Amino acid sequence: MRLRVGGFAVAAVAAWFLPYGLDLYGIHVIDIAIVFALLAVGLGLAMGVAGQINLAQVAFFGVSSYAVAILTTRAGFGFWTAAVLALLAATLVGVLVGIPALRMQSHYLGIVTLGLALAFTNWVTNSTVTGGADGISGIPVPPLFGIDLSSEYLYYYLELVVFGLALAFAGFVAHTGLGRRMRAMRDDSLAAGAVGAPVPILRMTAFVLASLYGGVAGVLYAGLIRYVAPETFSIANMFLLLAMVIIGGRQSILGCVVGAVALALLREALVDFSVYAQLGFGIVVVLMVVFAPTGLAGIPARLRRLVRRRRTSDHRATLRPFRPEPAGGPDRVGASLEISGISKQFRGLRALDDVSMSVAPGEIRGVVGPNGSGKTTLFNIVTGIYGVSSGSASVDGRVVTGRRPHQLSQLGLARTFQNLRLFGQMTVRDNVLVALDRSSMLAVWRYLLWPVGIWRAERDLRARADDLLERFGLTDFAEAAPTSLPYGIQRRLEIARAMATQPRLLLLDEPAAGLNGQEVGQLGEIVRAIRADGVTVVLIEHNMGLVMSLCDRVTVLASGGVIADGTPAEVAVRPEVIEAYLGDSMNTADIAAEVESEAVR
Amino acid sequence: MPRTATARLLLCATALAVATAGACSAPGSDSSSQESSDGPFKIAVVNAQSGQLSSLGQWEWKGAKLAADEWNAKGGIDGRTIELELFDDQGDPTVGTNIARKLSSEGFVAMIGTAESAVTVAMIPILRQAKIPNITSGQSPAIAEAGSPYAFYNGPTSNTYDESLARYLVDDKGHRKIALISNNGSYGKGERDAFTSALADRGITPVDDQVVTTDQKDFSAALTSIRQKAPDVLFVGAEEVAAGLIVKQARELGITATIAGAAPMGTPVYLETAGVTNAEGTVVSSPYLSNDTDEASRAFAEAYQRAHGEEAEMHGAKAYDGANIVFTALESSNGAGGAELAEAIRGTEYDGLLGDFDFDESGVGIHETSIGVITAGKLTAEPAS
Repeated sequence: MRLRVGGFAVAAVAAWFLPYGLDLYGIHVIDIAIVFALLAVGLGLAMGVAGQINLAQVAFFGVSSYAVAILTTRAGFGFWTAAVLALLAATLVGVLVGIPALRMQSHYLGIVTLGLALAFTNWVTNSTVTGGADGISGIPVPPLFGIDLSSEYLYYYLELVVFGLALAFAGFVAHTGLGRRMRAMRDDSLAAGAVGAPVPILRMTAFVLASLYGGVAGVLYAGLIRYVAPETFSIANMFLLLAMVIIGGRQSILGCVVGAVALALLREALVDFSVYAQLGFGIVVVLMVVFAPTGLAGIPARLRRLVRRRRTSDHRATLRPFRPEPAGGPDRVGASLEISGISKQFRGLRALDDVSMSVAPGEIRGVVGPNGSGKTTLFNIVTGIYGVSSGSASVDGRVVTGRRPHQLSQLGLARTFQNLRLFGQMTVRDNVLVALDRSSMLAVWRYLLWPVGIWRAERDLRARADDLLERFGLTDFAEAAPTSLPYGIQRRLEIARAMATQPRLLLLDEPAAGLNGQEVGQLGEIVRAIRADGVTVVLIEHNMGLVMSLCDRVTVLASGGVIADGTPAEVAVRPEVIEAYLGDSMNTADIAAEVESEAVR
Repeated sequence: MPRTATARLLLCATALAVATAGACSAPGSDSSSQESSDGPFKIAVVNAQSGQLSSLGQWEWKGAKLAADEWNAKGGIDGRTIELELFDDQGDPTVGTNIARKLSSEGFVAMIGTAESAVTVAMIPILRQAKIPNITSGQSPAIAEAGSPYAFYNGPTSNTYDESLARYLVDDKGHRKIALISNNGSYGKGERDAFTSALADRGITPVDDQVVTTDQKDFSAALTSIRQKAPDVLFVGAEEVAAGLIVKQARELGITATIAGAAPMGTPVYLETAGVTNAEGTVVSSPYLSNDTDEASRAFAEAYQRAHGEEAEMHGAKAYDGANIVFTALESSNGAGGAELAEAIRGTEYDGLLGDFDFDESGVGIHETSIGVITAGKLTAEPAS
């Protein structure tokens, strides 16, 4: 950390004195490189941090450049007034481009944003207000307290200050709550919603951030070149920008900067061989994607991992036992869950048919049934992932159907997933931190106006995350990537993450799947402790031993309907349950015996 | 940790070194472009060598190279040789500004190019600041509107091309039903604007005015609309290949109007793309009708063929003229660059392949074009009336 701060300080000093060693050509190239670096940081925030494929970055850049050009030359505004309006225009376009992201993701989003970028270049070449293919010349030199910004050396310092602030802001966003939520959304948007991250708002935020950086870059470009033409905002430049971000390492803000500056300088050095340079960039991008998907920025971490793997570490990280101490107050009581008459139709398939059940506060309820009986569908409806065809569910009397997952999380609903949905590219601690962060998106204003508040909240969250990891015995793995951990630990982490949202109703979808006998025992303990902590638990499980020993009541689903409901002992002996769920081969007497033996344990 | 400390110390030391090295002067004060009074004259040719406009850029380079080689063979300018260097602007204005800065810091005295108006306009403020005269092959009026005393055209502007064309079509031939088709590139837009205004001066409103995109290949929608208007003349404002495709498709759709256009329509590329029968009767306004107009063009075409192994065309001729003007001016300014060279260029009266150059305040040297008509696959000059 201290080395990092020192490194930044040295870089800042070096950047401050850089112009002394450069001629006019050199400083011009650097000025352009900084503009591209700003664009790359914005693209890195949207693509690398938030996982939103954004091929319209060059259009944000263009909108703002053109806005400055039009407002200063045609409408007679001053440069800085025009610049503020241009930023607003770029942000507005960012919101518009972001709207499709609410409905589609990955390559579809790529195609849509690319289409919008193309539409922009077409518009500027055809419109008369933009001067068509001739562009707009004669943008005034930005005035700044008598400093002559027509000198590219002095302009460099303006760019440097703006860039320093922009970079610091990007780093701040990426490493605090907002960035963490965006990374969670990138890794798994479903799970992010389930732990309370407002996915639609985050997607829009990603595009707004990208457009803001595009807008700043556009203003600086307009002030530097003082001429805009459609070719500057071509798709070829969009791909150059994409190459910068991919080669630099899209998940690291600094990587994006390194990629942008390196490629801008390289392009300049290879200007006499531009055909081969473009071919070369293409090859390098392909090689990077295949062999170093984390880009230049990820190479040190990969090397470190390689070295660590060679060296056998002397102390092995171990999973510590769960510490069943209450985190909430003793007066906390779990929520009740009331499901009434829920049906769910998937095209021709009726997955759930008039399902009703009611779970009392503080109960541990098992939901069992053969594969395909609709258990997970029921969970998905209760947690807001699916809508219902008819019927409703309510928690503590508040209707939850028809709400978004993140809203339900705020209401005190948490869940785990049948196939683990951890945030794979974030550390264990960050996985928990995302869930611990209960702040509303309305508090985002503080990023602009009161960063200290964010910083304090962050420190507090970290302390609580350490407590929670300690309680779940995961302290040794705090910095590890979840995917590198054994399956049992991942399962426990998912429960810890769900508990971090401080729920009053916890839904566990097959929590014992893939666990060994000892781990199943630990799981039982954890669930009981959670209940003791004032949380109602509903779990789907195939491990009958666990269900019988743990649950107060069991609901049996078969072919989308409830066929039995009662205590484990009552349910286990019902003939229709045995037929539907256990099959004919199981003997009723065996079950009864098992129930008794589990009860003894 | 000792290693961390060492690293930091090292970094601090580097920073200090950089700081002390530069602390003595304000940045940039030592970067005046040096003008050597001996050694070769450094002249830059800036043109797209990659991307869509690369063929144009290569022709220009060949034309300028031929002129430089001829001068060097004669012993250069006042005994100093001419050193041409080629820069690739990639058709991107931002790259163009980088190159302009490079020219000023590497001591180039003049620049030839570019063929892309938008790139040239982006470069003009920097070239003006660095006092580097440039002679462009662009023909957009936007270059003159930039108002730099260092910017010159090596050919007529679109206004000139289309004024001649309108004079021939309307005043001489009496056509009044005229339709336009142009693309939205820099060139096409300039042509459309210039021809429309030339028509407006004669009180004519086009019966149809279709705009297509630069990468369009199928023009049937625009052409069908034009056919319904049954014009006598179809004006085409597009580059060589696009113009050829438009005319080919127009004839296939049964449009029988006289085709008219500017320089691209006089090139072999146009003729090949459109097909000889379709191109028959095309009216071309061009300062350089063919390699066979007079003694000078025949000599140029022969030298070009010998030097580059291919047939000369107009862009090479333009760059050849432009380069010759710069060299002549350098000779008359006694090797001085900057403002003196710009004045020398303005004062140069040069009898070139494109006509008699006589520069005005806006940097335009050629004020007239000739009208030619394609007959039996050959562009033949129409006698001036």
